[in-house]
Amino acid sequence: MIELRFASELYPPAAVRDAAVAYADFAQCEIEERDGATWVRVSASGDADESMLAAELANYALGLSIDRRRAHD
Amino acid sequence: MKQAANPSDVVLELEEGLYSLDAIYGTAYVFIDRCYVLLDRSGPGRISVRLRPKAETSATAEDLMGEFENELLGQAWRRLLVEENRKLVETVTTHALAGAAGPPGLDDLLDMDIDDQAAFDDPLGIAVSWEDKYKKRDKASVDAGDDPSQATPPKSGGGEGSSE
Repeated sequence: MIELRFASELYPPAAVRDAAVAYADFAQCEIEERDGATWVRVSASGDADESMLAAELANYALGLSIDRRRAHD
Repeated sequence: MKQAANPSDVVLELEEGLYSLDAIYGTAYVFIDRCYVLLDRSGPGRISVRLRPKAETSATAEDLMGEFENELLGQAWRRLLVEENRKLVETVTTHALAGAAGPPGLDDLLDMDIDDQAAFDDPLGIAVSWEDKYKKRDKASVDAGDDPSQATPPKSGGGEGSSE
């Protein structure tokens, strides 16, 4: 299992949740919000590279965060 | 188990005073196809950017870091230009859209409040003849310090230089 920390001011929690939902077919994600951040514990389903999966999820969350910010501008 | 730092990762520490969050976001967006990008708050006014090259890219982490820094400069500069010219761009865009709307229709004209007084207003001076608009003043008026563009032309039929 890999734990990722997403600072809420950089990654809106909603964006992180959406990313976790998008990767639901590939990984199990436990989400917790605390200490000004969203923590995501990623466990790969099947034989997927867990480290790569976590990194891809983080990238996806970043993309969603940027899209949200642009939409609000 | 937390996300361990990978040996191939590089980390940049950025000052928010130099690079706005929008510039950092914009730069990160450009790189997420070639590397994994993770942002974090590393301290007051500081943001860390962790870059890890994807397996399919041939660029090294150091290469990507250099490219990231260059792109960041470009993003920051573009945003500065946008801010400086925001008002001008909005004005031009507004005028362009208003022009594209075309001339007022009959309903628009009927909705206008035009009374007898307003009907003959000429704020742009369109009804003024060219001669009246640009008439020159005589030399005496210019020497007196009046507006030279208002000088009247000299009268013909007498004085020096007359052919008669």
